[in-house]
Amino acid sequence: MRKFFYAKLALINLKKNKRAYVPYLLTCIGTTMMYYIMLALSKNSGLSQMAGGTALMSIMNLGTTVIGIFSFIFLFYTNSFLIKQRKKEFGLYNILGLEKKHISKVLGYETLFLFLATMVLGLAGGILFSKLVFLLVLKLLHFEVVFGFEISLSALASTAILFAAIFLVLYLNNLRQIHLAKPVELLRANAGEKEPKTKWLLAIFGLLCLGGGYGISVGVKDPLSALSLFFLAVILVIIGTYSLFTAGSIALLKMLRRRRSYYYKTNHFISVSGMIYRMKQNAAGLASICILSTAVLVMLSSTGSLYAGMQDVLTTRYPRNILITNHDSTSSLQSGEMRHLADETAARLGIAIENKAGYTYLSFAAAQFDDTFSTDSSLGISAYDKLRELYFLTEDEYTALTGRQTSLQEGEILIYPNRMDYPYDTVNLFDFSFRVKEVLKEFDECSLSAMNIASSYYIIVPDEAALSRIDAAQREAYGDDASNIESFYGFDLANHGPQAEISLYEALNAAFSQTGWDGFIESREANRNDFYGTYGGLFFLGIFLGLLFLMATVLIIYYKQISEGYDDQARFEIMQKVGLSRAQIKRAIHSQVLTVFFLPLITAGVHICFAFPVIARLLPLLNLHNTPLFALSTLICFLIFAVFYAIVYVLTARSYYKIVNQGGQAERM
Amino acid sequence: MALLEVRHLQKVYTTRFGGNTIQALADVNFTVEQGEYVAIMGESGSGKTTLLNLLAALDRPTGGEILLNGQNLSSLKEKEISAFRRDNLGFVFQDFNLLDTFSLRDNIVLPLVLSGKTWRQMEAKLTPLAEKLGILPLLDKYPYEVSGGQKQRAAVARALITEPQLILADEPTGALDSHASDELLRLFDSVHAEGQTLLMVTHSVKAASHARRVLFIKDGEVYHQLYRAGLSTGELYQKISDTLTMIATGGVRHA
Repeated sequence: MRKFFYAKLALINLKKNKRAYVPYLLTCIGTTMMYYIMLALSKNSGLSQMAGGTALMSIMNLGTTVIGIFSFIFLFYTNSFLIKQRKKEFGLYNILGLEKKHISKVLGYETLFLFLATMVLGLAGGILFSKLVFLLVLKLLHFEVVFGFEISLSALASTAILFAAIFLVLYLNNLRQIHLAKPVELLRANAGEKEPKTKWLLAIFGLLCLGGGYGISVGVKDPLSALSLFFLAVILVIIGTYSLFTAGSIALLKMLRRRRSYYYKTNHFISVSGMIYRMKQNAAGLASICILSTAVLVMLSSTGSLYAGMQDVLTTRYPRNILITNHDSTSSLQSGEMRHLADETAARLGIAIENKAGYTYLSFAAAQFDDTFSTDSSLGISAYDKLRELYFLTEDEYTALTGRQTSLQEGEILIYPNRMDYPYDTVNLFDFSFRVKEVLKEFDECSLSAMNIASSYYIIVPDEAALSRIDAAQREAYGDDASNIESFYGFDLANHGPQAEISLYEALNAAFSQTGWDGFIESREANRNDFYGTYGGLFFLGIFLGLLFLMATVLIIYYKQISEGYDDQARFEIMQKVGLSRAQIKRAIHSQVLTVFFLPLITAGVHICFAFPVIARLLPLLNLHNTPLFALSTLICFLIFAVFYAIVYVLTARSYYKIVNQGGQAERM
Repeated sequence: MALLEVRHLQKVYTTRFGGNTIQALADVNFTVEQGEYVAIMGESGSGKTTLLNLLAALDRPTGGEILLNGQNLSSLKEKEISAFRRDNLGFVFQDFNLLDTFSLRDNIVLPLVLSGKTWRQMEAKLTPLAEKLGILPLLDKYPYEVSGGQKQRAAVARALITEPQLILADEPTGALDSHASDELLRLFDSVHAEGQTLLMVTHSVKAASHARRVLFIKDGEVYHQLYRAGLSTGELYQKISDTLTMIATGGVRHA
């Protein structure tokens, strides 16, 4: 009987607080569903066996971890918010005679009910939607659709265990809060809040951080330093956002307040003073929303553009259908033999090839200091952003490839930088000093550097003798790590489909492995699935996490609005008594809510604009050079996000008005 | 002509699910002359607060009319009511109703800001008023930083700053200790002495004994009234006490 009583009380409590608990329950269900779906996908037997499946699996595993951690943080945050709202209620119970252990019991039942509802609905939803999501993944990845319905029992169990643990931690945290507080404290409404202090130092620090982050993004020139500085920029921007939201906003508002001619106007008066308090309570939340939104947008726009630009990516990464690289063309398989073997194999299969290109080259890495290249390995990690891959070709090879006659003199070179400028007249390397005869504007045969992260230089030397001298010098400098003179052969297939390319690729592999050579063969078609597996998987993850973050954003905003509604209710009631008209109240509420709501979105927009240059520099590392495509993708993602955001705004603003107006009606009773 | 005329005022509340009706005010009639200081007394549930809400145009009567300076409050449009309230009425509440997001200065000038005055105009009114009420040094403080008496003085300043026709006070001493209550009542006396019309709803015999006239409300009607007419505060205090005892025990009415 007594037991029954607590359970009943718990149910009544949940029902009574449904305005707060329904969104919370929906979030619990949503995160459970997403976690299960991601986990089930990562355990899906069909997916892992497909070509490109391995890459996909590791992405899914990463996604599962991210969702798990995020679910925990997020549910913890919302739960503590809910408990804060209900403290008064607990205080009342306490005074009515329920001891803290009884309250704990009620809370325990509440948690249990929420957990059960979450599990039943979340897992059922997860099972239902996992098939749908599975089909979506197959479609995204251009995999063939397989039929059948798979329920992963182990995924079900893991999900249940994880969320049971999360709910347990939430429950313990709630108990801690209740036990720490005295009944009087529980009862007392949040009376008289101190006005926030202006922290100029923090505001300026935030401004500097943000400026630094933006500066890095805008100023970065080459992909390698973009890669290394990207995370620094991200951290600077995050710190900057938090400090500006917390300190900067208040400093700005107080500055406005000091300007009397501005401040003492009906609209400014109410919103400026209200905002000062709002920002104190909400700055961290708003900054988090801003960061989350930015993360979602960056993720979606970059993975989306990679996915949409897949064909570009493939042709950049594999400039020709078949690419053969021989690591040691001086000993095992001579350059000419290699070409011959390849041509012969193609002819045997009856496949016509065209657009052939083959050459011998020497390549090694060196650190660039202006016009001097150093191979000193003691430079270590500090010089990694100066690291360049150098490719040396003879003039004869160059002429054969391009048909251009250049007649280089002894000590003269041509240089082609693949990503940056070369503004110097000389190239100093080892003990040699070469005069740059011409910086080439284009050089189509940059297949070699397509997969390189470092920037590359193609250097054309006059003859074999010059190449040998450089080879000898690099052998001396690098010792056992020295490179060999390598050779490359690439070609396209004339009018043959992907199937022919793959069979040729397999035949070539078989033929070349018989020679005992040291090299590798790549095929655009054979690698297509891998790329779809990776980029499609990333895109899918982007969408999935984007949804999760969006859900988080929506909920944080919703709760903020609700709690503020209750605070503002009393405030607007007083103002109405003093002579503020309904229309003015509405206008004042509108401008405040609008500012609070759209500040994170606008800031996220600014962040995205400044992130654009650095991401545009990073995408070439993933073989996407199509900046307009990325710009388009960013724009589309931002618009979609903004639409979602606006819908959430309309919904929350409505419940906010309801709460604020309720005050007016209650007063009239 | 009287400043405030209340004729056959009636207010009936209907409970949310229809059916039950509650008559808060049955038939209230009284007038307040320019420069008068009137206290309205009554027990809880006698309709005091309803009456005040109607006078403040925060609510509309179900019958009868209220004329302020000949202007019928019921004839005001929803849009005009706020401005009317701002320009003609000043409020002093039991729980002060100061906004905790504003400093005392900003709380006091709030009605002027709402009517769109310039800062110069506000300052010209604020400084002498704050000086008179003895809160000049406190203007930059926030409500949670000052005492209850100081808060109530700030609230009075907010009511006076618009130079209203009528000040409506709802249990102004209700949340104050006896020292602060005395101070506030003295303040009301001096405001009244300067010609301000005051209407105060109160439980407190002491507060009521400062008024020139006391109205007693019972069951939604004006049941009795007392005039000061030369009595000292102490004598009026005694008379009010007697009247309250009489009302409570069901004595004769002299409305």
